[in-house]
Amino acid sequence: MIRTYFDEMYDGAGQVRPHYREFARWLAQTPPELLAQRRREADLLFHRAGITFTLYGDEQGTERLIPFDIIPRSIPASEWQIVERGCIQRVKALNLFLADLYHEQRIIKAGIIPAEQVLANEQYQLAMQGLDLHRDLYSHVSGVDLVRDGDGTYYVLEDNLRTPSGVSYMLEDRKMMMRLFPELFAAQRIAPIDHYPNLLLDTLKSASPIDNPSVVVLTPGRFNSAFFEHAFLAREMGVELVEGADLFVRDDHVFMRTTDGPKAVDVIYRRLDDAFLDPLAFNPDSMLGVPGLLAAYRCGNVVLANAIGTGVADDKSVYPFVTEMIRFYLDEEPILKNVPTFQCRKPDELSHVLANLPHLVVKETQGSGGYGMLVGPASSAAEIEAFRVRLKAKPHAYIAQPTLCLSTCPTFVDNGIAPRHIDLRPFVLSGKETRVVPGGLTRVALREGSLVVNSSQGGGTKDTWVVEG
Amino acid sequence: MRLSISHETTYHYQDQVRASIQYLRLTPHDSERQQVISWQLDLPRPVRAQVDPFGNILHVLTLDEPHDAIVIRARGQVDIDELREAEHEGQSAFPFLRCTRLTEPDEALRDFADQHCHQRRDRSALIDLMHALNQSMVYTPGATEVDTCAAQAFAGRAGVCQDHTHAFLACARSLGIPARYVSGYLYSEDSTHLASHAWAEAWLEGAWYSFDVTNQMARPERHLKLAVGLDYLDACPVRGMRRGGGHEQMHAKVVVRPTPVIAVQQQ
Repeated sequence: MIRTYFDEMYDGAGQVRPHYREFARWLAQTPPELLAQRRREADLLFHRAGITFTLYGDEQGTERLIPFDIIPRSIPASEWQIVERGCIQRVKALNLFLADLYHEQRIIKAGIIPAEQVLANEQYQLAMQGLDLHRDLYSHVSGVDLVRDGDGTYYVLEDNLRTPSGVSYMLEDRKMMMRLFPELFAAQRIAPIDHYPNLLLDTLKSASPIDNPSVVVLTPGRFNSAFFEHAFLAREMGVELVEGADLFVRDDHVFMRTTDGPKAVDVIYRRLDDAFLDPLAFNPDSMLGVPGLLAAYRCGNVVLANAIGTGVADDKSVYPFVTEMIRFYLDEEPILKNVPTFQCRKPDELSHVLANLPHLVVKETQGSGGYGMLVGPASSAAEIEAFRVRLKAKPHAYIAQPTLCLSTCPTFVDNGIAPRHIDLRPFVLSGKETRVVPGGLTRVALREGSLVVNSSQGGGTKDTWVVEG
Repeated sequence: MRLSISHETTYHYQDQVRASIQYLRLTPHDSERQQVISWQLDLPRPVRAQVDPFGNILHVLTLDEPHDAIVIRARGQVDIDELREAEHEGQSAFPFLRCTRLTEPDEALRDFADQHCHQRRDRSALIDLMHALNQSMVYTPGATEVDTCAAQAFAGRAGVCQDHTHAFLACARSLGIPARYVSGYLYSEDSTHLASHAWAEAWLEGAWYSFDVTNQMARPERHLKLAVGLDYLDACPVRGMRRGGGHEQMHAKVVVRPTPVIAVQQQ
């Protein structure tokens, strides 16, 4: 049998990899009925905690529990060190890119990125041009999506520098595992992650030039798919969760309405897209933002995390240039690889893509959440033809990549345990230092053979372990 | 030519407004074409000027005491260099290629632009486009609303200067020419003409050229620039929000007149 996928738990010969041995021993010893009972318990606890995710494109617009799988994704500490260094390197370069792009634009002058590519991009915000940010930081909270190809090599699939979500699942999955299976954590050294909210608060405070700034979490509201996470993080950090209507601007300063009168706000951890932040400067129909916020921000009186205009750096059309950014700004070789990417805006690359659609993954440059993408090998001829029409009509809106194998991890399914494809999103915090808690969010595609792990597309999650020893 | 401007805007509210905030772009700045001799903005309370993302002078007026009226007065004198046709700027024009909701071209606008410009991407092509748009969209106050987009106004074959400008921007950008919205004042001997005006600028050979579709003028001889942006929303003189107040009545009185310059000859 030819092994096409890299399995996290078993090597090519079917042997358990060393960092999974303790877990495999435990799994073999634990009676199946007990596991089944614990899995039901987990569902119940998650449901009770209200950890749900709103599905877009679902007629009922319903909230759904994100399936949690009790078999962890485990990473040996030695391997994690490389991933960690790679993510930090990447986010440092991306922050330097943003600072450069909104100031001198050295990378354009050096001929590495075409001016039109970034400056005509809708995510490039004129409001950021020439604006100086504390510590020159734009993306304070970044999510780097990683996958592994057939031989186990890690690849960066995309960077998330706008309002990356999912960290609450990372934390809740760990809590759940420790509650259900404490014996697993006693038997081996699994790196802790529960200090993430402290690190996040520390990062947000260090984004402001003033001492002990007042921090709030700004949510679009309870109808947002990630509302649970916004409330969760505010609670864990011990700061206020606010909606746009709870804030107001007076003389270019931001205040929060409280029962004790207005209270100054210095740092806003905003989980609201740029377009909705200030109805007087961006989308005028936005009822979610704060009128006057942009002017206050540009006066330097409030910090937004992440900054406005980070989207130009994580745009899929800019992604192919990230390896060059690392060389340009850091004078280092990239530690993590980029997936080879065809830019459909280029006529020769477009014709290659059109000729090879059944083998490629095609994505919208502006899309996220797994909506509006084509996974060639998993699509019918009719689906491919329908996509071909869209691609031809707006080639500049798409990129294409070879279909990666994506590593698998044993996962509970209807009839036992079977390998399912996974990815990994470590969360990188940029403040005084750049830090990553060990691990991240592991998403798993629960449908057999599926390569789409997004929770909006029927993906589940797993606890992610960094195992020492 | 020296122009004197007096611009008074009054808002009356049916009920008390609890709080309001306005982004005001009512102060011109110096450029190659215009030099501000004097300018004064009178607001209900003092506000410090700042520069907005497009380089315009912005005042943010916040009122959080109950009020039932707001009066905003702008007045001053500005010298216009009638002979200068284009303006140079250091900033890249690429951001002005992108579309906005108000300037998104539909099939009809794209075809219209192609039909009048073909392969041409120069000033004369855009002048033809300007004339053609003026013919296709009859100047008709009341035909459109403030949030009517270019495609809607073009389909309705009518509009005001804002719609003319949006349609021009949609066409120019669809041809790959960066273009921007300008709001400002226009001097006209004919006093029935509105003195508050909007026109377009397009980036050609490294400079911004004016295209006033409404008046079919490609030379901005009598145009005083207040603000620029991607569309009306970025550049409009007043953009605000309020809590409470009920129905609103707005009165604007704009007077633009030429003022003799007492020349001081230095030989």
